[in-house]
Amino acid sequence: MALLDLHPRVHATKVIERCELAQGVTLLTLHAPQLASAVRPGQFVMAIPPSGESAATALAVYDISGKHASILFFVTGKRTSELAGLAPGARLDVVGALGNGFDCAGNQRDVAIVAGGVGIASVWLCAKALLARGARVRLFYGARTAELLVEAQRFADVGCELILTTDDGTRGERGFVTDALRRAAPPEAIFACGPSPMLRCVGQIANELEIPAQLSLEETFGCGVGGCWGCVVALTARSDRAPNFPPAQRGGSDVVYARVCKDGPVFLADELRW
Amino acid sequence: MTPSLATRLGKLELAYPTLMGSGCYGSGEEFAPFADLSKIGGIVLKSVTRLPRLGNPTPRLVHTPAGMLNAIGLQNPGIEWYLERELHKYKDRPCKIVGSVAGFSIDDYAYVCERLAARDEIEAVELNVSCPNVAREGETFGCDPDLTERVVAAARATTDKPLIVKLSPNVTDITAVARQAERAGADALAVVNTVRGMAIDVESWRPRLGNITGGLSGPAIRPIAVLAVYEVAQAVNIPIVGQGGIENLSDALEFFLAGATAISIGTANFTDPRIPQRIAGELQAYLARRNLGSISEIVGRANVGISTAYQYEGDEG
Ligand SMILES: Cc1cc2nc3c(=O)[nH]c(=O)nc-3n(C[C@H](O)[C@H](O)[C@H](O)COP(=O)(O)OP(=O)(O)OC[C@H]3O[C@@H](n4cnc5c(N)ncnc54)[C@H](O)[C@@H]3O)c2cc1C
Ligand SMILES: Cc1cc2nc3c(=O)[nH]c(=O)nc-3n(C[C@H](O)[C@H](O)[C@H](O)COP(=O)(O)O)c2cc1C
Ligand code: FES
Repeated sequence: MALLDLHPRVHATKVIERCELAQGVTLLTLHAPQLASAVRPGQFVMAIPPSGESAATALAVYDISGKHASILFFVTGKRTSELAGLAPGARLDVVGALGNGFDCAGNQRDVAIVAGGVGIASVWLCAKALLARGARVRLFYGARTAELLVEAQRFADVGCELILTTDDGTRGERGFVTDALRRAAPPEAIFACGPSPMLRCVGQIANELEIPAQLSLEETFGCGVGGCWGCVVALTARSDRAPNFPPAQRGGSDVVYARVCKDGPVFLADELRW
Repeated sequence: MTPSLATRLGKLELAYPTLMGSGCYGSGEEFAPFADLSKIGGIVLKSVTRLPRLGNPTPRLVHTPAGMLNAIGLQNPGIEWYLERELHKYKDRPCKIVGSVAGFSIDDYAYVCERLAARDEIEAVELNVSCPNVAREGETFGCDPDLTERVVAAARATTDKPLIVKLSPNVTDITAVARQAERAGADALAVVNTVRGMAIDVESWRPRLGNITGGLSGPAIRPIAVLAVYEVAQAVNIPIVGQGGIENLSDALEFFLAGATAISIGTANFTDPRIPQRIAGELQAYLARRNLGSISEIVGRANVGISTAYQYEGDEG
C-alpha cells in the first residue's frame, strides 16, 4: 500500500551477523546498502525497536563495508537488550544517517582519537578517514577493564598507535584515558567520543593546549531528528551552531541550548559550556 | 468505495484525522526526510511565548516504562523572532499547520495569539494552558476553570481562526475546565497534555530530570487520556482531538470511540516516524472492512450503554 512505503531515509536492514565481543557488548552487521553508501564518520542512526514497544535508540554507525553497515553497543537497558537479541536474518529498520559527524577534512598530520568505553563505536570510520589522508593517528582508548577494550587490535592493524588504559589496570596503563592524553606529546587535533566527564576533561586539555577538539556528545534522545528539543547541550553565545534564537535576548544569559541530535552530535570543545 | 479519512475541527478541515502533537514534531521540516507530510492531517507547532525562553536545564528527557518524562520548559525564541524568522518556513507544508501559544498571564496569551493568528502560514491556533514544565503559572491556567475561561475569551477576541484549547489531565474534574473553555468560545479541545511525573536515580539519589519534575507521555498515559476524552465528550458539543500514547490503529480507534473527532500523535513519532502514515492507512482499511463511509461514523460510539448483570457500587475494586 502506498501509505506504507519506506521513505528514502528509513532503511529496512537485515541482520547478517551477530557477535558478542565481550560480556554485554554486541556487534551487529546489517545488510544496509543505502545506509552504507550515505554515512559519514561520526553519524548515527535511530534503530526502530522491532517490538514497537519503546522509543528508537541512538546508535553510532560503527563500520561500513560494501553493502554492510554495523553497529556496536553495550546492553544497558530494555532497548539495547532487544537489539542484542536479534538473530541473523531478523529485520531491523533504522532511520538515518543522522547528525553532523566528524569533520575529517582538516590538514593536521598528527591527531589523537580519544575513546571511552562504547565511544569506540563512533570513531572507527573517523580513524580510517584520517589514516587515508596520511595522518599519524594515536588512539587513546580507555575502558573499565581489559575485556571491555573491544576492537583495539583492529585499530592497530590499520596503522593506529594504541595507548590503552583501564580503570583497574588489567590492561594498558591504570587510570583514566585522559591522564594518558595529558602525559602524551600534544597532537595537532583531537577527535573524541565517550562519557561526559571524559569529554569534559578532553575539552579542558584541548583548550589548555589551544588545539582544536571535536567531541561527539551523548544525551538522552527523544526524536533524534531535531523535533523535540529534549537532547540539548549548553553552548556559549559565541557559537553559531544553535540556530533560530535571538542572539541579543537569551533570557539575559550568554548560554544557548543546541540540539545534540541535529546540531551535533559533534561539537567543538571551545563552544561547549559544561 | 474508499472510506473518507477527512474530518473537521470547527472550520479547520483535515484531509487525515491525524495531527502531530505540539513539541514532538518540530516544524515538520525535521521529519520531512523520514515521513510523508502529505499523508498526515496537520502539525501543531511547538508552543511559542511572548518573550524568548531558554528552556529547562538538562537532562530534559527520561525513558520510563511505556513512555517518557519530558521537561523541555518551552524553549522558544519568542513571538517576534518567531514571526520574523520561522513562520515563513511553514508556508508550503503539504498539511495543515496549527500554531501553539503558551503564556504566563492572560495578556500574554491574548498578545501572542493575536500576533500569530494574523499570519497566513497557520490555519488554526492551539492554546497550551496545560504545560506542566514551567514554574507553576503555565499549568495553573488549565487547572482552574475560571482562569481557563478568561484566557480563552481573551484569545477568542483576537482571532477568527479556529481555536483549539489543550487541556491538562492534572485536574480533579476535567469536564469543568472543558465546559468553560467551550463557553468562552473554543472551537475544539485537545485532550490531553502530559501527566505530571518524576523519576529518581537510586545511585546518586538525584532527580533524573534537571527540572526535577516533568510530563509523562506515551502508552503509559493512554487509559488516562481515553477516559478524559470520554468524559469531556459527554460534557461539551465541540470536537475533541484525542491524544496520549497513540501508537497504532487500535489505540487510535479507542480515542475515536471515546468521542474524539481527530487524534494527535506525539511520542510515537520517537519510536517510528512512519506511525502516523501507518495508522491512517490501517484506519482506512478498518472502515472499509466494516462498510463505513467515514470516521464520523465511529466517533463517540463506545458501547457503554449495555448494563452489567448487577449494579456496581463504585467503579473500582
Ligand atoms: C549520538 C549517539 C550515539 C550513540 N551511539 C551508541 C553506540 O554506538 N553504542 C552504544 O552502546 N550506545 C550508544 N549510544 C547510547 C545509547 O543510545 C543509550 O545507551 C541507550 O539509551 C540505550 O538504551 P536502553 O533502553 O538499552 O538503555 P536505557 O534504559 O536507556 O539506559 C541507558 C543508560 O541510562 C542508565 N540508566 C537506565 N536506567 C537508569 C536509572 N533508573 N537511573 C539511572 N541511570 C539509568 C543506564 O545505566 C545506561 O547507562 C549513543 C547515544 C547517542 C546520543
Ligand atoms: C518532548 C515533548 C515536548 C512537548 N512539548 C509540548 C509543547 O511545547 N506544547 C504542548 O502543548 N504540548 C507539548 N507536549 C505534549 C504533547 O503534544 C502531547 O500532548 C503529549 O505528549 C501526549 O501525547 P503522546 O503520548 O502521543 O505524546 C510535548 C510532549 C513531549 C513528549
Ligand atoms: S532528540 Fe529530539 S531534538 Fe534531539
